Amino acid sequence: MRRELDLGLLVAVAMLVTFGVTMVYSASGSDVWRSQGLYAVISVFVAVAIVYVPEKLFYDLAYPLYGLGMLSLVVVLVWGTGNPARWLAIGSLRLQPAEFAKIATIMAIARFLGDQSSERVSGPRAIVLAVLLAVLPMGLVARQPDLGTAVSFGAALIPMLYWAGMRPLHVFFLTAPMLSVVFSFEPLWQDQAPIVFALFIILSSVIIQLLLARLWVTLTLLGVNLSAGLVTTYLWANFLRGYQKARIMTFLNPESDALGSGWNIIQSKIAIGSGGPTGKGFLQGTQSKYEFLPAAHTDFIFSVIGEELGFVGSIFVLSLFLFVIWRCLYVGTVANNRFASLLAVGLGSMLAFHVFVNVGMTIGVMPVTGLPLPFLSYGGSSLLTNCLAVGLLLHIYAHRHEY
Amino acid sequence: MDPEVLEDWARKLRGLMTLAGLLFAILLLRLFHLQITTADDYAKESEDNRITQKRLKAPRGLILDRDGEVIARNRAAYSIQLIRGSRESDAQAIAALEEATGESVKLGKRGRERTVRLKRDVSFPTVAIVEERLRDEWPLDVEIEPQRFYPFGALTSHLIGYLGEKQDDLTGPGGRPYIAGDYVGQTGLERVYEDSLRGWDGVGYLEVDVRERVIKEHPFPDRERAPRPGRDLKLTIDVDIQLAAVNALPDSLAGSVVALDARNGAILALVSHPSFDPNVFVSYGSQAERQRLIQDPRKPMLNRGIQGGYPPGSTLKMIASVAALESGVTDTLSTFAACAGSLQVGDVVFRCLNRDGHGELNLLEATEVSCNIYFNHLAQILGIEAWHDYAARFGFGAPTGVDLEPSELSGILPDRRYHQERDGWVTGHLMNLVIGQGAMLVTPLQMARYVAALGNGGYLVTPHLQGDAPPPVRIEGVSDATLDIVRRSMYRVVYGDHGTGKRAQIEGILLAGKSGTAQGPRADDDAWFVSFAPYDEPEIAVAILIEGGGGGGTHAAPVARAVMEAYFLDQARHGAMAVDLDGRHRGGS
Repeated sequence: MRRELDLGLLVAVAMLVTFGVTMVYSASGSDVWRSQGLYAVISVFVAVAIVYVPEKLFYDLAYPLYGLGMLSLVVVLVWGTGNPARWLAIGSLRLQPAEFAKIATIMAIARFLGDQSSERVSGPRAIVLAVLLAVLPMGLVARQPDLGTAVSFGAALIPMLYWAGMRPLHVFFLTAPMLSVVFSFEPLWQDQAPIVFALFIILSSVIIQLLLARLWVTLTLLGVNLSAGLVTTYLWANFLRGYQKARIMTFLNPESDALGSGWNIIQSKIAIGSGGPTGKGFLQGTQSKYEFLPAAHTDFIFSVIGEELGFVGSIFVLSLFLFVIWRCLYVGTVANNRFASLLAVGLGSMLAFHVFVNVGMTIGVMPVTGLPLPFLSYGGSSLLTNCLAVGLLLHIYAHRHEY
Repeated sequence: MDPEVLEDWARKLRGLMTLAGLLFAILLLRLFHLQITTADDYAKESEDNRITQKRLKAPRGLILDRDGEVIARNRAAYSIQLIRGSRESDAQAIAALEEATGESVKLGKRGRERTVRLKRDVSFPTVAIVEERLRDEWPLDVEIEPQRFYPFGALTSHLIGYLGEKQDDLTGPGGRPYIAGDYVGQTGLERVYEDSLRGWDGVGYLEVDVRERVIKEHPFPDRERAPRPGRDLKLTIDVDIQLAAVNALPDSLAGSVVALDARNGAILALVSHPSFDPNVFVSYGSQAERQRLIQDPRKPMLNRGIQGGYPPGSTLKMIASVAALESGVTDTLSTFAACAGSLQVGDVVFRCLNRDGHGELNLLEATEVSCNIYFNHLAQILGIEAWHDYAARFGFGAPTGVDLEPSELSGILPDRRYHQERDGWVTGHLMNLVIGQGAMLVTPLQMARYVAALGNGGYLVTPHLQGDAPPPVRIEGVSDATLDIVRRSMYRVVYGDHGTGKRAQIEGILLAGKSGTAQGPRADDDAWFVSFAPYDEPEIAVAILIEGGGGGGTHAAPVARAVMEAYFLDQARHGAMAVDLDGRHRGGS
């Protein structure tokens, strides 16, 4: 049986992975690129191999894998290594269970939502259960603590709910309180916080009222938003410890402690900015070579790209990512069943979230969370997971005509 | 799938892609801002990161004696530096250094500098500890800087002075600022010639990594500027004479020796005893020693040659001789009323050294035996005004203008007014002044200049330590004939049968001098001797003072001899060396 491969996706991912190994070589100045290269070869092989796995298997394995994923997250909380403890050491192999748990969770949600009809998904029962499926790993990962990864589960869930049939209005209701938190967050807006928050409350209420013309809906939304905002303000003022506030303030104004916790962001911005339009040249980045930029080959690999290859290099990488994300979502539209379609959308959303948060971090529009840049950051678990996801997408594409 | 479902998915794809597009647009705009709009600012910051500007300290000019012997030079000193990181890493590095060296380290205020000097001028074992054990693990580094060193130590300390760290006022002469921690001349020649000794610092650049490890030595050769070393300072001092003077002075007593070139005022030796090691002031960890020096009751820091005021005793008598000869009060052969051992002036009885009386004396004889009564008689006729006039012409009561200390003492040359304002005028004051007692105070340097003028034909020289000699000034109203008689009287002090200064005699060279035994504030008299040599054409003028030294002829004259001997030995050696080199040159060709 001959399978049709999504060559566009495969080529784009292969380019990203190759590019990643190359940049890890430049950023690390040591031999770590070899192990990354080995992982890359294995990962791409795995991705292609998955195409030939019978489709039914993924559907059947979705829940068991989810259970296994949750178990591994519990195990890492107890026996994890590293600081913070995010790794499981099996012999000389260090694995990050959270990476595999991402795929397992997306598979589980995809199966759960796929089993429901679109109409059912618009009801509260399905939504609550789907949210619970995501909240369990979120809570476990947040305990590590790894806030970035925890939030990424939510980032995958919401587009999947939308895709599965949840009404846009409900999606809005689900996300509005989160946005309330953001818009009422005093350190972010400082003196303007009450104005920004008030504007958001009024605008969202007016839009809903105009769209639905149902007063109780509008009032409910207003109540939910207001309480989310007020609780945020209250917590910020009364419950956060000094160092916790400091950590958040550092994200918002890294220059306030140039030698302390703001160092990474400042050095990353200097690296990217000093790259200019065309960069300092491959292997010529002084920010990474002279170790001003910490974690250059892991979390801040994009800074190395920006420094050595400039705006041109940044655009190239972002274009590849946008193409891959589009391709993921596109595969979702051609899938031959709801499970496969949702799986594609979930994986694509997860990827988009990672890219946005990681790149945003390196240029100072997102906080430092420790989320790796897919395909590019050094790290076997992350690379393997992302290629697994690509494998699943290739599989869905290859099987799109089967019923 | 259902066409309806497919259509729904396609619609949702557009929605999600719009959202993704918006998010990516945010990234794109931000990247455009960083890499295009403000790229230059970040390029500058990136350069600031990796390029360290380094001040290339200009080596301070050397100080040499007149034969080229190095009196002040620079040695390498090692400092321990901290490359600043976070507050915690700084503290950890300092703790590691403290533990390894067993010494406490203080970190000053946090400035903007990336490196902070923790310990200056550390010992070699400390350098080894940091280099071998600490540097790889902690952000510590060793820096070499030039540090002043005075090879002759205490021998030249009062002349050369010493350096100290500049801390608060960082302005320099000519608007050339200092950086906190720079060494600047605090006293002596180091201070006087600071501007020409310090040189011009240069600028260098290093390409470094985050721990200030050097990656590349000269990233911008065009932007670098080499330091210009300070100008060397060649002195008129001769360390051999200086050494001879120190050795000749009694170790237990304070004293001073000044030796001038009698012709032009070049200072050949300027000794103040007790002395101190100036290296104590430039080396670290000598705080206690410095404190001890400053509090020492023997005042080793005081430069007695120019800052000590003493009654000159009989060495001053030649002023009266000059005044009397010039005003016709006496001549060489005339004698005065005989010395009976004492003289009553008003209510006070003045006594001579010889209690039985010297009998009748002329000026030459009176100087030879240093008869007080003779000079009292002279002074009675002269009067205070004439005496004061001549004393002032020989430079007493005024600074000599030596290029060493702004705090040079003027001494005191009292006149009638001086006493009227204090204790009222009586002729008895003049009786004291004429024999160098009473309120009269002089510095040894003033005495050396005075005796040089007596020897060199009446020229008042300006004592100086370097450079061209300021032209000597002929003292007005002092004739050659007068000076000839005074010189002869001083000759007899050394060679006369009853001369008080016989101990100053040198084999093979004629000289003239005058002893003094002055009653100062101390229990024992101060011993003085002033002299010049050779007698016919004086080259060297010497003033010796020993606080509480007793008789000048007995105790100060031998010191003068030692100093002059050293001078003539040095001259002979230079002459012999010239001949030697000549001969060798001829032999070689």
